[in-house]
Amino acid sequence: MLTRQEVLKIAQLARLSLTDAEVAEYQKRLGRVIEYMKDLDSLSLPKGAFVRHVPLDAPRFREDEARQWPDREAIVANAPLAEENQFLLPTVLEKET
Amino acid sequence: MSARDKYEAVIGLEVHAQLLTSSKMFCSCPNVFGAEPNTKICPVCTGQPGALPVVNRHAIELGVRVGLALNSTIHPVSIFARKNYFYPDLPKGYQISQYEQPFCTGGEVPIQLKDGTQRGVKLTRIHFEEDVGKSTHHGHGTRVDLNRACVPLIEMVSEPDMRTAFEAGQYLRALRNILRYTQVCDGNLEEGNFRCDANISVRLKGAQEFGTKVELKNINSFRYVEKAIDYEIDRQVEMIELGEVIQQQTRGWNAAKGTTELMRLKEGAADYRYFPEPDLAPLEITTDWQNEIRKQLPELPQQKSERFQESYGLSPYDASVLTAAQELAQYFETVTNLSQNAKASANWVMNELLGRLNAASVEIDQSPVSTEHLADLIRRIDSNEISGKIAKTVFEAMFATAKAPETILNEKGLRQISDAKQLEKVIQKVIEANTSQVVEYKNGKTKLLGFFVGQVMKETKGQANPGVLNELVKKLLDSQ
Repeated sequence: MLTRQEVLKIAQLARLSLTDAEVAEYQKRLGRVIEYMKDLDSLSLPKGAFVRHVPLDAPRFREDEARQWPDREAIVANAPLAEENQFLLPTVLEKET
Repeated sequence: MSARDKYEAVIGLEVHAQLLTSSKMFCSCPNVFGAEPNTKICPVCTGQPGALPVVNRHAIELGVRVGLALNSTIHPVSIFARKNYFYPDLPKGYQISQYEQPFCTGGEVPIQLKDGTQRGVKLTRIHFEEDVGKSTHHGHGTRVDLNRACVPLIEMVSEPDMRTAFEAGQYLRALRNILRYTQVCDGNLEEGNFRCDANISVRLKGAQEFGTKVELKNINSFRYVEKAIDYEIDRQVEMIELGEVIQQQTRGWNAAKGTTELMRLKEGAADYRYFPEPDLAPLEITTDWQNEIRKQLPELPQQKSERFQESYGLSPYDASVLTAAQELAQYFETVTNLSQNAKASANWVMNELLGRLNAASVEIDQSPVSTEHLADLIRRIDSNEISGKIAKTVFEAMFATAKAPETILNEKGLRQISDAKQLEKVIQKVIEANTSQVVEYKNGKTKLLGFFVGQVMKETKGQANPGVLNELVKKLLDSQ
């Protein structure tokens, strides 16, 4: 079980506001996730094992050649909200750029 | 003793430099500044599911170039890491960076101190990362442009090795200089391709422990670096003197008000939940590759400055001014080679040219006075064809019109008069107009020679060749 402060800190990092009931709920739920991590810790893995998804024969580098992606509009169109070819999101922080 | 004198500041700088590549760090989108929003994007840099990053080889070469130029250690194997945080300009929800194993550690940046001596500011590390997008806030929401997302960056972190705002400014200038020399980055704070954050704390002089540090962001002009840091040092000293506690936080420089303002309470490194990037293999930089990159290194500012002092007899100060930018150093050297007079070339460039260029906001490679024209002017002074005074008038016209000295001398009728017959006529006229002075001169008041020379100069509008004139005046006066 996580403390109330731990849940509030995580919520703040994710820019979420939670009700008191939600905080209590997440104390329990996130607590279960942490418990599961403890299970993983008990496995004996080589120290610093590096989990990688890249196939061994994948190219390590690309040459520095610029190419335009042909379907850029589709990427913006994919967003729930767009405006003047920009993604539009709810403002979460006022002062940062 | 003022309150501030009891304290010393401890300053470390983090500099982000965009690398001058054609394409982005992990995808082939063009790396350009100022394009229409979201025209340089693809599935990789917008974080589409399933899109995988591949490292840009040239970006690695540019980073290694900087590491070698700063005598850092380049590591044969380094690891990319995910830095997780939640922010709209970061589509993937993490930034690919390097954390526990950066590609480069150590090294130092040589800076020049006020007394002309040099010292090295130690570097902690240099690592690769990708830039993030740009968000602009509007009343109804935040617009996000991802053109800049995934542009290659190196972050250069210094040790907390500086004690004054001046040192920090010098460090930034020296670092920018090296990045420009090595053609790694434009070093333009205003366009944001060279960005600086400062970590600042204060402590009582002699104390061993560091104070709580404040991160200062948004220093986007060289003019403000020292001002912003000084302001922050004063603010912290004042708080401590009032018995208040400094909080670890991020503050932004507000250039309009000349103050720093709270931006946010700082996330700790643990909050970023760094872990190795599973989509990228460890970065391998072999010794052979390093050696190849080392061969491409140009002569660096400090080496050039030392060579200028040795070969051209310049003072350390003059040499440092003339090597501040590669284009300037090249200009000076070309003028010197053509004129065969290093000292005069240095003086003309530093005292006459640079100020005018600055005032007109013109870069040295766009100078209206070409290297050939300036060298030509210097040769004419050295051969006594024109006086230093006339040369200044000619130079002014050269700067204004970009014309050759020859053309200006003809157009303005500024040629030096060395012709004895022509000068004798004028001298004769002056002697006749000042008979009483001639008598005094003949009676032993030889100081009056200068008076006659001056009168002839006035008559010829300064065009008389001073050497020839002196002799002729003396000869004619003595023969009276």
